[in-house]
Amino acid sequence: MIHLTNIDKYYDSKFQRTFVLKAVNLEVKEGEFVSIMGPSGSGKSTLLNIIGLLDQPSAGEYTLYDKTVLDLKEKVKVDYHRNFMGFIFQAYHLIEEMTVYENIETPLIYKGVKGREREAMVADLLDRFNMVAKKDLFPQQLSGGQQQLVGIARAIVGKPKLLLADEPTGNLHSSQGEMIMETLKALHEEGMTIIQVTHNEKFAGYGTRIIRLEDGIIRKDEKY
Amino acid sequence: MIKHFFINILRNIRQNKVFTLINYANLVIGFAVFILFSALISHELNYDKFNVNYDDIYRVQTRQEDSHPTNFCTYSPAAYRYHLMADLPEIEKVLLMREVSGGANSGQFFTLPDGSQLYEKDGYWSENSIFEIFTIVIKEGNKATALTEPNTIVLSETLSEKLFPEGNAVGKQVTIGKRVPLTVTAVYADFPKDSNLRPTYLVSMPTYDVLSGGSEYRDNWTSITFDNYVLLKKGADPKLVDAKIKDAFKNVKDYEKSTPYLHPLSKLHISPNSQPDMIVGLGILSFAALLILILSSVNYINLSLANSTQRSKEIGIKKVIGSSKKLIASQFIAETIFHTLIATIIALCVAYLSFPMLNHILNKNIDFILWGNWQLLGFVGFVSLLVGVLSGLYPSLVISSYNPVKVLKGKIFSNNNNSISIKKILVATQFSISLFMLIVSLILFNHVNFILNKDLGFDSKNILYTEINISDKTPFETVKTRMLQHPEIADISFSSTIPFVGNIGGYVTWEGAAQNEKEMISRNYVNYDFIPTYNLKMAYGRNFSKEYPADNQACIINETALKVFGWTDPIGKRITMYGKSYPVIGVVKDFHPFSVHNPIPTYIMFLKDNVISGSTLLTLRFTGDEQKARYLATSELENIFPNDPFEFKDFGVAFYLDFAISFWQSMKRMFMFFAVVTLVISTIGLFGLILFTIKRRTKEIGVRKVLGSSVRSIYWQLSSEVIAMLGFAILVGCPSAIYIYNTMPGAYKEPLSIMVFIVSVVLVAIIAVLTISYHVVKIAISNPVEALRYE
Repeated sequence: MIHLTNIDKYYDSKFQRTFVLKAVNLEVKEGEFVSIMGPSGSGKSTLLNIIGLLDQPSAGEYTLYDKTVLDLKEKVKVDYHRNFMGFIFQAYHLIEEMTVYENIETPLIYKGVKGREREAMVADLLDRFNMVAKKDLFPQQLSGGQQQLVGIARAIVGKPKLLLADEPTGNLHSSQGEMIMETLKALHEEGMTIIQVTHNEKFAGYGTRIIRLEDGIIRKDEKY
Repeated sequence: MIKHFFINILRNIRQNKVFTLINYANLVIGFAVFILFSALISHELNYDKFNVNYDDIYRVQTRQEDSHPTNFCTYSPAAYRYHLMADLPEIEKVLLMREVSGGANSGQFFTLPDGSQLYEKDGYWSENSIFEIFTIVIKEGNKATALTEPNTIVLSETLSEKLFPEGNAVGKQVTIGKRVPLTVTAVYADFPKDSNLRPTYLVSMPTYDVLSGGSEYRDNWTSITFDNYVLLKKGADPKLVDAKIKDAFKNVKDYEKSTPYLHPLSKLHISPNSQPDMIVGLGILSFAALLILILSSVNYINLSLANSTQRSKEIGIKKVIGSSKKLIASQFIAETIFHTLIATIIALCVAYLSFPMLNHILNKNIDFILWGNWQLLGFVGFVSLLVGVLSGLYPSLVISSYNPVKVLKGKIFSNNNNSISIKKILVATQFSISLFMLIVSLILFNHVNFILNKDLGFDSKNILYTEINISDKTPFETVKTRMLQHPEIADISFSSTIPFVGNIGGYVTWEGAAQNEKEMISRNYVNYDFIPTYNLKMAYGRNFSKEYPADNQACIINETALKVFGWTDPIGKRITMYGKSYPVIGVVKDFHPFSVHNPIPTYIMFLKDNVISGSTLLTLRFTGDEQKARYLATSELENIFPNDPFEFKDFGVAFYLDFAISFWQSMKRMFMFFAVVTLVISTIGLFGLILFTIKRRTKEIGVRKVLGSSVRSIYWQLSSEVIAMLGFAILVGCPSAIYIYNTMPGAYKEPLSIMVFIVSVVLVAIIAVLTISYHVVKIAISNPVEALRYE
């Protein structure tokens, strides 16, 4: 599904080139649950952003289902974001001006899903995450774990193939973190491809594969 | 989608109450000023449009080429009507009118039912064709014959109600000037306020024939005192008619230097003398109003950008979850349009409520029409939409191109110095404009005080005057002795004109003048007492005196005349006017016969026969209580002239009503208005700029505070930027204000005072400092941890 070949990401300053990622080769198959680990500044988030089409590599090849996705037009990129992938962030990044319901609904609006259907899809997810009672609250009124659940709901409401999570448990207590990881695991079991970035060994273990990055280079790639 | 759009807007408003308030204040002020002046201009351009024949009505005016510069006179001789236009096939109707008395107010006294006298201005002699040319609503009577017979009068509704409170005026008698009885033949509804011609009553032209002693005036080409209107046939070419009239006029060789020309009704109001003054004035006003609208849209842009830091996260998230750049941009533009439309609606109400203020500023009494004036409302709506699109465009492009990765990490405004400097220039420009407006309004303030307080060269206090038209010749000495027996009356004189009231022109030549050299002068016919009554000072020679019987063939000139004639020893030198020669017996020190706005003219006084007759101006100087003096003078004069109506007026009133003075007062108020508005708008601009700077630097300031930096250094940092802008404003604003001062019309100006500049700069500086302080205090009391939390 995902095919990265010789991906470099660097920044040029006057006298030197600083590499964030160097010669990264990575293949992710459909249905995998990949955890990317590594110390701060090892390039984990950059790698995730490149996979998520939020950032461009400086060099290398990137294909999704054998189609190259570098230098895409804005329109095509937006299409991928609408239909193919969902994002979860460490700081949740919910839209504070919107209620829980509206936050989950928004991607469907962008996707062009009709009102009735939209209602059903959001209601379904609210039900699944036990948040029906909280649908009219604003993000600030929820606990961190609940906010992240909304984040997940928003990411998957459009039924993406790929879920990208950037330290989804980074801001949470361990118990809430576990709850989130269990949710991700369940999604994986339903067949969703997930790539997460994490610092936490234990949570990395929820994945089926762990990739260890160090100074922009893949040091280890273990499958379980 | 639409529901979400509005919910989003509402929540944004709720979250940023102060910001929304400022933003709306900004837009509402901009639009309200724009609407006010659009309404004013629409009013001025729509004068006379109520006339059905609007496009075909012309006034035949006179171009006087023997005057320098060429004078365009709205009046014309009656001969035009009878000898030039009567037989032209293109002309449907002709109309000859004349103001009922040649004086400034053109009024007449009416006898009220209780016997007292009522002075009514704006009366005309008129032919009956007025009803066929202009659109006049008749309330009573028959308009086909209303003005065809001698001794008939048509009243406006207002005057009719005053004279005949019980109604049914037609057929009743009115008396004008205590002697002429007239029969009311019709009553018409008052002319609308946006009519150029607004007579309060019309007396039939045959009456004029009777009173002026015949119809000789019809052949008079030199008395330029009539109004000639024509109604052209539908489809007639006015240029052709104009040419034909001119052709016909060429046959009257003697008067070739005062030629007739057609002036359309559409221009009678905005350019009565074919001069562009009013059009230029309206142009300047529209420019100023447009400028204010532009300034407030610039503020909107700045404020949106400042606020966008707050919304950047929202935008970033939306992009990640699948919103396109185009969608975000168009949503932002739609939001801006929504805000501008709402602001426009509020501004319409504000403008509506501010019309009395505008009337006060302009010293006018205009009925502004806003609701129902679709042309105007459509225009305002269009401009509002345009402003919405234009001021939404740039921020929408900036906001929609935020990089989501950077935005979500909280790094957005790195390396953005370029756009900051553009903003600084914009705000500095706003400050320059408001400083300029402020200085100019203070200059005008000084100027108005100056012309109000300038020494006029004569004693203008304690003066009462009246116009009186005397039917029976009366020796002035009888009047004088009877008046002066009251200690309240100190002096009395009579003359053809008095300072600020009336003017008689003429050409003279003088001893020592070159061949064909002549000078346009202002002349006055006075009696022996005129100079003492007004306390005029003699520079050379003496006043007219009864001891010198030859004085009735002599004259007194003023110092300006002395300079113009180039004499060193004026006494005994001669001037010649209309073929008659007069020796100079004295020179008065210069005084202002007209307002201080005008230069002192070449002024010559001749001696009047010491017998009052006909139309004259009576002046008296009182001591002590004005009411008592007025009462005594009125009752004495009523005894002496029981048949002649008159009304004593306070000279001070004439002085303040003087056109030049009210003009300058309007200008002063206008500039003060603009100064306040631009000051508010540029303060909002500065507020937005500082808000932007501070939001960008929240983190920096937080870090500084954690590291122990004082609020003072932050304050100083912000202030230094503002001081630079203020410097720019001074460099731009002061020279332009000086330029305005130098080009300001007016013969006499007070020297420019440095205080004007100091006061303005200090005021602007104080406002700037207060604006900064607001923000700095907010930072000072904020917790730095807040700023640093999201890392």
